[in-house]
Amino acid sequence: MSSIGLPHFLIVGAILFALGMVTVVTRRNAVGILMGVELILNGANVNFIAFNHFVEGPGRLTGQVFSIFVIVLAAAEAAIGLAIVLAIYQTFRTIDVEETDLLRE
Amino acid sequence: MADVPEIRPSDPRRPLPRARDPRRNIVEGLVRIGAMLAGLMIGVGALGTRLIAGRPLGVATFVALYLALTLCIWGLNGFAFRRLPLTGPLLFLFSAAAFGVLFLIGYLLGGVAGPFVLDAVSRIVPYLKLADGVFYLFAVMTCAGAGGCAFSRNIIYSAWSLLFALLGVAGLYVFLGADFPAVAQVLIYIGGVLVLILFAIMLTKQIGEDPKLTNAHVGFPAGVALAVVTIATLTYTAVMAPWKIVAERSWEPTAGPLGIAFLTDYLLPFEVASVVLLAALVGAVVIARKEIKETSDVTS
Repeated sequence: MSSIGLPHFLIVGAILFALGMVTVVTRRNAVGILMGVELILNGANVNFIAFNHFVEGPGRLTGQVFSIFVIVLAAAEAAIGLAIVLAIYQTFRTIDVEETDLLRE
Repeated sequence: MADVPEIRPSDPRRPLPRARDPRRNIVEGLVRIGAMLAGLMIGVGALGTRLIAGRPLGVATFVALYLALTLCIWGLNGFAFRRLPLTGPLLFLFSAAAFGVLFLIGYLLGGVAGPFVLDAVSRIVPYLKLADGVFYLFAVMTCAGAGGCAFSRNIIYSAWSLLFALLGVAGLYVFLGADFPAVAQVLIYIGGVLVLILFAIMLTKQIGEDPKLTNAHVGFPAGVALAVVTIATLTYTAVMAPWKIVAERSWEPTAGPLGIAFLTDYLLPFEVASVVLLAALVGAVVIARKEIKETSDVTS
């Protein structure tokens, strides 16, 4: 049996989550913030699949099903988010989130 | 001849007297690269055959190594440290000094550090497993990618780091016996989301914009502190919590059972997800489309 256990994967997920959160909090570029959101979702997904493998046991797939839904929603979020970023860019000519503080033109 | 002579248009074949011939430059560079390669081959060959045969290094080996080092330094001088005029006896003096330094380092490594390192490696190797190494490879790739994404100064580099983070996560999925999520990760994240992000970056970058400034941070120390606190807390939880870990592992392919689960137990979420995807795609097109205004004839 391999010595790699559940905590190893949870720590990788935690690092992904923390770095994604740092990206979301400190970036000024809207696309960078969306990349941070992707990192956070990936950290959650690693946890889902690790728990599915180590805690749920064979023959049960709830964690993997959840991870697929997370991936689907991440794709939808990326499409909508980047469309909004493009719309903001067409209006303000910048995507710096410190400067785009109006909901109208 | 201090003044630069004019180029006579009547004689275009004659090159500029002061400018170096590019073809000669290339030839000289090739010769120096060849010298470097030859030196390397001679040195590695002489040292390797002696060490593999287990015989002590003789005088001939040292002479060969010295000549190889001289060749290497002469070749390297064509590209680096061009200010150093390493020609003639100076070259041999310089390479002798370098040879002495290298000899000392090699003697120390071979006589002192070598047995110690061999002993340590022979103690560590039985505890290493290939699977663990693969896990750590993927984990380091994921964390390094995430770190690059979080801390890079250039947004393009951030996007490429995200590629490595996503690839590493896909590898971890394979490691956890989740083959379908791994493939979905590669297809959707790398093939879809990352391409979208790269398109968005390129569509929103202004030409002439400094790429170093496109990814600026606010409150960077606070962000790093936040990361440290989060990682510490979650790591403490992950290590200390009494997880109920089942004993048996399954490495069966999960694509078939996942499809059955989606069409039986999770049918409603599955359909809702498809509707969400459709709405998201239509919404993205509507939002990102260029709006044609009523007063479009007035150029603003």
